[in-house]
Amino acid sequence: MSDTKFTRRTFLKVSAGTTAAAAAAPRLLQAMENELGGKDVNPVTLAERKAIPINCHVCNIQDGAIAFVENGRVVKLEGNPEHVSTRGRLCAKGNSGMWYSYDPDRILYPLKRVGARGEGKWKRITWDEALAEVAKKLDAALKEDPNTIMMKYGRNRTGGTLDRFMKTLGSATVVNHTSVCESSKKIGMEPTWGPDIETPDFANTKYVLNIGSNILEAAYFHNPLSQRITEGRVDNQMKIVTFDVRLSNTAGFSDEWIPVFPGTDGAVALALGHVILREDLQDSEFINTWTNVTVDELKAHYKDFTPEWAAKISGVPAATIERIAREFALAKPATLFTYRGPAKHLYGSYNEKACMMLPIMTGNIETRGGYCLPRGMGWPQPGPTPPGAKHASYLSTPPDYPLAGHKVSHLVPFWIAEGKQKINVYFTYQDNAVYTNPGAQAVWGKLFRDEKLLPYIVSMSSHMGEETALADIILPDCPYLERWEPESMPNSLWPWLGIRQPVHASLGESRENRILLRDLVHKLDPDGKRGMKQYWNFKDAEDYMRQHFDNVPGLKEAGGLDFLKKHGVWPIYGKLDPKTGKVTDKTGREIKAEYGLHKKELGTADMAGAVVDKSGVISKNGKAIGIKRNGRNYAGFPTGNRLINVRVDEWAQYGFNPMPTFKRIPWHETMKEDEMILTTFKLNVHKQSRTAAVKWLAEIAHSNPAWINAQTAKRLGVKTGDLVRVESKVGHLVTKAYVTEGIQPKVIAIATAFGHWEYGRLASLRLKDKPAFGGQEDPDLNNVWWDDKGVHPNAIIPVVADPIGGSQGWMDTVVKVTRAGPNDKYGDIQGNWEKHVEAYKETMRYAYTGDMHRKMHPEMASWAGPASVKPKSGGGGH
Amino acid sequence: MSEELRTSPIETRGLAGKKRYAMVVDTRRCIGCMACQVACKAEYDTPLGVNRTWVPYKVVGTYPNVKKHFLPRLCNHCDDPPCVRACPVEATYKVEDGGFVLQRYERCIGCRSCMAACPYNARFMLPAHRTYTAITSVVDKCTFCFHRVTQGLVPACVQTCIGRSRVFGDINDPTSEVSYLVATNATQVLRPEQGTKPHVFYIAGDRSQMEFGRDAYQRREVMDQERRMFERNFKA
Amino acid sequence: MGDYVVFHDVSWHASYAVYFFVVGICAGLSFFSFLSWHKPSLRPVREKSAYLSFALLAVAGLLLISDLSQPLRFLNVLNPAYLNFTSPLAWGSLNIVTFGLASAAYLFMLRKGDEKWGRTLAWVTALLALGLPIYTGYDLTAHQSRPVWNTPVIPVLFVALAVASGSAVASLLAMGNEAARNMLRLYLLWSTAAVAVILVSILGTTNYGGSAEELTFIVLTTRTMGAIFIGLGIVAGTAAPIAMLLAPFGRRQAGLMFAALLVLVGSAALRYALLMGPQYVQTLY
Ligand SMILES: Nc1nc2c(c(=O)[nH]1)N[C@H]1C(S)=C(S)[C@@H](COP(=O)(O)OP(=O)(O)OC[C@H]3O[C@@H](n4cnc5c(=O)[nH]c(N)nc54)[C@H](O)[C@@H]3O)O[C@H]1N2
Ligand SMILES: Nc1nc2c(c(=O)[nH]1)N[C@H]1C(S)=C(S)[C@@H](COP(=O)(O)OP(=O)(O)OC[C@H]3O[C@@H](n4cnc5c(=O)[nH]c(N)nc54)[C@H](O)[C@@H]3O)O[C@H]1N2
Ligand code: SF4
Ligand code: SF4
Ligand code: SF4
Ligand code: SF4
Ligand code: SF4
Ligand SMILES: [Mo]
Repeated sequence: MSDTKFTRRTFLKVSAGTTAAAAAAPRLLQAMENELGGKDVNPVTLAERKAIPINCHVCNIQDGAIAFVENGRVVKLEGNPEHVSTRGRLCAKGNSGMWYSYDPDRILYPLKRVGARGEGKWKRITWDEALAEVAKKLDAALKEDPNTIMMKYGRNRTGGTLDRFMKTLGSATVVNHTSVCESSKKIGMEPTWGPDIETPDFANTKYVLNIGSNILEAAYFHNPLSQRITEGRVDNQMKIVTFDVRLSNTAGFSDEWIPVFPGTDGAVALALGHVILREDLQDSEFINTWTNVTVDELKAHYKDFTPEWAAKISGVPAATIERIAREFALAKPATLFTYRGPAKHLYGSYNEKACMMLPIMTGNIETRGGYCLPRGMGWPQPGPTPPGAKHASYLSTPPDYPLAGHKVSHLVPFWIAEGKQKINVYFTYQDNAVYTNPGAQAVWGKLFRDEKLLPYIVSMSSHMGEETALADIILPDCPYLERWEPESMPNSLWPWLGIRQPVHASLGESRENRILLRDLVHKLDPDGKRGMKQYWNFKDAEDYMRQHFDNVPGLKEAGGLDFLKKHGVWPIYGKLDPKTGKVTDKTGREIKAEYGLHKKELGTADMAGAVVDKSGVISKNGKAIGIKRNGRNYAGFPTGNRLINVRVDEWAQYGFNPMPTFKRIPWHETMKEDEMILTTFKLNVHKQSRTAAVKWLAEIAHSNPAWINAQTAKRLGVKTGDLVRVESKVGHLVTKAYVTEGIQPKVIAIATAFGHWEYGRLASLRLKDKPAFGGQEDPDLNNVWWDDKGVHPNAIIPVVADPIGGSQGWMDTVVKVTRAGPNDKYGDIQGNWEKHVEAYKETMRYAYTGDMHRKMHPEMASWAGPASVKPKSGGGGH
Repeated sequence: MSEELRTSPIETRGLAGKKRYAMVVDTRRCIGCMACQVACKAEYDTPLGVNRTWVPYKVVGTYPNVKKHFLPRLCNHCDDPPCVRACPVEATYKVEDGGFVLQRYERCIGCRSCMAACPYNARFMLPAHRTYTAITSVVDKCTFCFHRVTQGLVPACVQTCIGRSRVFGDINDPTSEVSYLVATNATQVLRPEQGTKPHVFYIAGDRSQMEFGRDAYQRREVMDQERRMFERNFKA
Repeated sequence: MGDYVVFHDVSWHASYAVYFFVVGICAGLSFFSFLSWHKPSLRPVREKSAYLSFALLAVAGLLLISDLSQPLRFLNVLNPAYLNFTSPLAWGSLNIVTFGLASAAYLFMLRKGDEKWGRTLAWVTALLALGLPIYTGYDLTAHQSRPVWNTPVIPVLFVALAVASGSAVASLLAMGNEAARNMLRLYLLWSTAAVAVILVSILGTTNYGGSAEELTFIVLTTRTMGAIFIGLGIVAGTAAPIAMLLAPFGRRQAGLMFAALLVLVGSAALRYALLMGPQYVQTLY
C-alpha cells in the first residue's frame, strides 16, 4: 500500500522538469480541473450572479439551461450542467437568448390596428379592451360554427395549452407548421418503426452515414448530437460521410462530402442497400426476426436498384456507392442520420424510408453505437379534459392527404381562398408563415390582407413579425425566459423531464400564453355557465405546472415541481466530469445508456391476460403490446404489429408503393441545360424567422448571398458579390452571388433567416427609428456596422406537397440563373399569386386523388383507385 | 522548472511552483458553431464590431473534394507578450501566477501601441457605446476569463464549447488535461517565429489557415464585401 | 460575406501619418536652424525655421493627444510610476517633451540674441530633433511582426524623409535668398535621393519576403494604395523632384519651389502608405 500512496505534491516534485514524465503520467493522477460551469460572476465587480435553471427555446432542440441574473436582468445563459443531454453547453443561439426578452422592439402592451392591414399603424389598448374585443368576435364565431375559429401555430411548447383552448371552444381547426418543417421524414419513419425520429448513438459508433442533415448547424438535435459527433470522431475514431447538395459545416467537417443532385438520396440509399444485399452483407437474423419481410423478399425487391442506375440519377459514381455500402455494412456499429435533405421533396417520404432501410438491413437498430429509438418522457394533463370538436376540419385533416399525419399547412391559404372552409377568427401563435412558408408574402401576405377571407386576425406574439404586422389585434405573449412550460425531448439516449420557469416578472404588460388564454376563456365564460371555465381552473401558471408534474411517478418522490424549479431537469443521471465533459456516476465512470429497447422482455404482469397470435403478436385488450420471437416475449417496436414494417400496407391502400422505393421528381427530368435547382438551408447562428433581431447573431450573419459553384459562376460570368437574377416559375429575385467550390454545380443555395421587411429595426435595418412598443433602447445598436440585410427567397418558391407525407418540397425549385440586368436592383423580389395558385393546382395532381398519381406508380397498376378507400386523419408535430 | 522548458519556443510553462494556464484547441473537434464567440460576448457585454474571440473558417479544395476548417482564435496569453512591452504606461501587464495578460482600463490612454504590437489581432478598441458596462473607449482583449478562472471555473468560451474543442487548465500541472493533450498530441501555436511563446495550443490546425499572410483565412473578394461595410460604418 | 466575417480594425489610422508628416518637418526645420550656425548661407532661415518648428511641434503634440481614445490621460505617459521603458512610445514621449523644452529655451535665446547659448541649444535641439524621426520610425520597426515596418531601415528612412521635407519647407521659407536656396537644393536633392535608395531596398526585400511580405507588396503597389504609394510617393514625390533638381530648371527659384512642393506631397504620401499598407495583411488574419 505504502508505495502507491504518494500525494499530488510529491508527484509534482518527482516529475517536475522532465517532459517524459508529463507524457507518461497524466492518467495516473488527476489534476484539480476547473469546473465546467454552474456558476458565474460579474467580471468587473466579481459579484456572483443568481442562477435560475430554465429550458432553452431559442430553437426547438430544448436544451436545459441556466439563466444568470444580475440587477434583475439576465446577463448570461449557460447550459445546465445537470442536464444529461445538454451537459452544460449551449449553441450560439442559446447563448444569446436574452435578446428575445430585451429586444428593444419587443411588443410590451396589447395593440389594436388602426390603419389598413399591414400599414403599421397601431393603437395601444388595455388588456381588458383587448380581451373583450376578441371575446366578442369569438362569441359570434361560436354561434356560427366553432370550426370557423382557426388556430395556426409554429413552435408550440405549451404542453397542451393551445389544444386545450381549441377544445374548450369546440373547434377542430388547429393547424401546425410541420409540413413546411420535416413532416415527410416523420411520415417516412412512423409507419415503419413507430416514432418520428431516430437517436443515433454517435458517441459510440464507428461509421455514420449522414444523409441531408446539417446536424452540426441545425437539425434535431444540434447541440446534444454535435457533442456526441465530435466525441465519436476524435475519441472513438468514427468515420462520417455526408450527402448534401452543398458543403454545409457538417459536410465540411465530415471525412467525406458526397455531393448529390437534389432529391435523389432515395436512389442512392436504395443502391447502397442493393450492394449490401447483393454482397450478402446484411444482418439476416435481424431482418427475419424483427421486420415484416424476409431477406429473400428484400433481395428480390432491391434487385433493380443498381449503383449504375443511382449513379445516373444522383451523380454519385457507382464505385463510390459500392465502396460506401461495403464500408457501412462492415463497420460495426454503424448508424445513419437524416434530416430535411431527403425529406423535403415531392415523395420525400419514400426518400426517408429508403435511407432508414440501411441501419435496418444491417441490424444496427437499438445497438450501442447504432440507430436507436428516441427516448422521451410524458406527463399528465390537468383535469378535467375539454371534450373537443364535434366535427372534423377540412384544413386540419385534408381528405386528399390521408397519410399526411402532420397536416399540409402550406396548402391552407389556397384551400381558404377556394372556400374549402370558412374562417371567422384566425389565431396565430409563434408562426410567421408570411415569411417562413413557400410563397411567403406573395401567398400568405395576400391571404392575410384579405379581410373577406380572414375577417379577424389575432396574433399572440412578442415580436412584430411579418405575420403579426398584418394582424388586427396583438396580444403580447412572453418570450421563453418569462414563461412556465413543461418540457421533454428525446435529444440523447437518456429520457428526461424539464421545465421552463420565468427568470423575472414579464416585461411591460406582456402575459404568457397560458395566462392570456385563461383570461380570454374567463372573459368568454365569466360565471362558468358556458362550461368553458372549468377547464381553466388554475391559480397561476406555476399551479398549472404543479398539476402536470406533482404526480409523475419518481419525480413526485423527488419533490415534484419543486425539484424541477431547483434543478430544471429530472432525473439527474450524474455529475459532469470537468476533465472529460462527460456525465459520470458515483463511481466516477461515464454513465451508460440502455440499449435494445425492443428486446425488453415482458414480465408476467404484462403477459397476464395477453394473447399471442400466430405471427407472434402479443395483444392485450385489443392492443398489441409485444411480439413473441424465438420463444421469448419481447416488447418489440411501437408499431401496430410490434415489428419494423419494411412493407407499409397502409400505403398500398392509397396506391402508394408499400416497399422502399424512389420516384424521380418529374420536372427535374425535363430540366433544360441552363436551368438549376434552387435550394434553401439554415445557418448555425440563426433560427428561421426569429433571430434576425438578435444582435450577436445578426452580427455574425446578416446576409444570405446565393451560393454558386465556381464552374457554374464562370459559365454565367459572375464573381462573388456580383448581382444575379434568379427566376422560378412563380417569380424572381435579385441577390448577390457567393462563388464557392462547396456546392453541386447544378444547385444554387440561398439561406433562410434574412431579408426581413418587418421584425423590428435591426432585422429590417431601420435603425434610425425609435423603439415603438414600450421596449428599452440598447445603446450597443449604435455600433451596428452592417448595412446589408440579405434577400429572402420564399416568395419565389412554389408549393409542392408530398402526396404521402404532405411535406413542402422546399428543395425542388427549378430556376434560371443569370447575371442581373440593368434594371435589376439588389433585393428585388417578386412572386405572383396567380402563378402560385397554378403551382398549387399542379401539386394536387400528385395527391392520391390526382391524375398524376397513377402515372407515377405504374408498379401499383392493380390498385383499385381513390374511390376504393375512405379518407382518414392524423395529428401531432414538432 | 527546467531550463530547456523555459527556453523552448513552444512549451514554456511559466514559473516553477506557479500556475500557468493554457488553452488547447483541438481543431478536429471544432464544428464552427460560434457558441464560444457569443458566450464571450455575453460574459463581457462586448459591443458589436469587436470580439475577444472569433472563429474564422476557410473552405479549401476544389469541387468535389472540399473541406471546411475552423480556427478558433483568441489572445494567446503569450509568455513573452509584445503588447506588454509596447504599452507606454503599463496599462497592459502580465500576471505571473497564471500567466494572464490583462488590462488596467483606468490607466489605458488609448494609444493603440499594444494593438499594433500584437501579432494576432487579439486586441481592440472599445467603441463608445455599450449595453450596460461603463468601461468604454479603451483597449480591451480576452482575459482568459481571469474572474472565472480564479473562482475555479473554466472560461466562458470553454464552458459552452459544443465540440469540446477548447480545453483549459494549468499546464504547469503535469496531471491536467491540457498537459496531457499537449504531451500526447502534435500541437502548433500561431506564428511561433514571433517569439511570443503563445499559450493557446492547436491540435491538427490546418496549415492553410494557421500560416500568416496571403489568403489568411478567406479569399480577398469574399472578405471585401463585408470589409467595405465595416469600414464605412464602424466607429471605435 | 454570408457568414462568419470578423474584422479587425487597423491599429493606427491615417491621423497618425499626419502626425509623422508634421513631426518630420518639425525635426527637419530644427536641423536647418541648427545648421545655420555652421553654414552662413543658411543664416536667413535660422529664426523662421526655429519658430515654425516649434509651432509644428505644438500641432504635432495636439495631433498625438487627440489621436488617443483617452486624450485627457496623456499625462499618464509622463507619470514615472507608470512609465514603461520597453515601450518606444514611452521613449518618444520623453523625446518630444525634452525636445519641446529645448526648443523653447533655444527660441528664448534666439530672441534674447544669446549667441553662445543659442549655438549650444541649437545643437541640443537638433540632436533631440534627430530623435523624433528615429523614434517614430522605431515605433514601426519595433513591430517585428509586421511586414515593411519590421525592416530596420525605417528609422533611417524617416530621418531622410525628415531632412527632405524639412529642406523642402526651408526652401519655401528661404524663397528670396539665392545662397540659401542653393544650399537647400543640395540637401533636398541628396535627402530625396537617400529616400529613393531606401525605398528601393524596402520594396526589393518586401517583394522577396514571405507570403505576408508578398501580400503587403501587392497591397502597396496596386489599387488605391498603389496610386498613393507608387504614384504620389515614389514617382511624383521622389523620382520627379530628383529629376527636376538635377535639371537646369531645378536650379531656378520656381524649379526648386516646385520640387519642394512635390517632395512634401511625396513624403506625406509615403508616410501614409508605409503606415497603412503594412497593416492590411494582419486585418485579414
Ligand atoms: N441553427 C438552426 N438550427 C435549427 C433550426 C434553425 O432554424 N436554425 N431549425 C430547427 C428546425 S425547425 C429544423 S426542421 C431543423 C432542420 O435541420 P436540417 O434538416 O439539418 O437543416 P436544413 O438546412 O433545413 O436542411 C439540411 C440540409 O439539406 C441540404 N439539402 C438540400 N437538398 C438536399 C437533397 O436533395 N439531398 C441532400 N442530401 N441534402 C439536401 C441542405 O443543403 C442543408 O444543408 O433544424 C432545427 N435546428
Ligand atoms: N427558405 C426557407 N424557409 C423555411 C425553412 C428553410 O430552411 N428555408 N425552414 C422551414 C422550417 S424547418 C420551419 S420549422 C419553419 C418555421 O417557421 P415558423 O413556424 O413560422 O417559425 P419561426 O420562424 O420560428 O417563428 C415564428 C414567429 O413566432 C414569433 N415569436 C418568436 N418568439 C416568440 C415568443 O416567445 N412568443 C410568441 N408568442 N411568439 C414568438 C415571431 O413573430 C416569429 O416570427 O420555417 C420553414 N421555412
Ligand atoms: S440548439 Fe441552441 S438554440 Fe436550440 S435549444 Fe439548444 S442551445 Fe437553444
Ligand atoms: S492602448 Fe492602452 S493598453 Fe494599449 S498600449 Fe496604449 S495605453 Fe497601453
Ligand atoms: S496574443 Fe497579443 S494581446 Fe495576447 S498576450 Fe500575445 S501579444 Fe498580447
Ligand atoms: S477566455 Fe474568456 S475572455 Fe478569453 S475568449 Fe474565452 S471567454 Fe472570452
Ligand atoms: S464553441 Fe467550440 S466547437 Fe463551437 S466554434 Fe467555438 S471552439 Fe468550435
Ligand atoms: Mo423545422
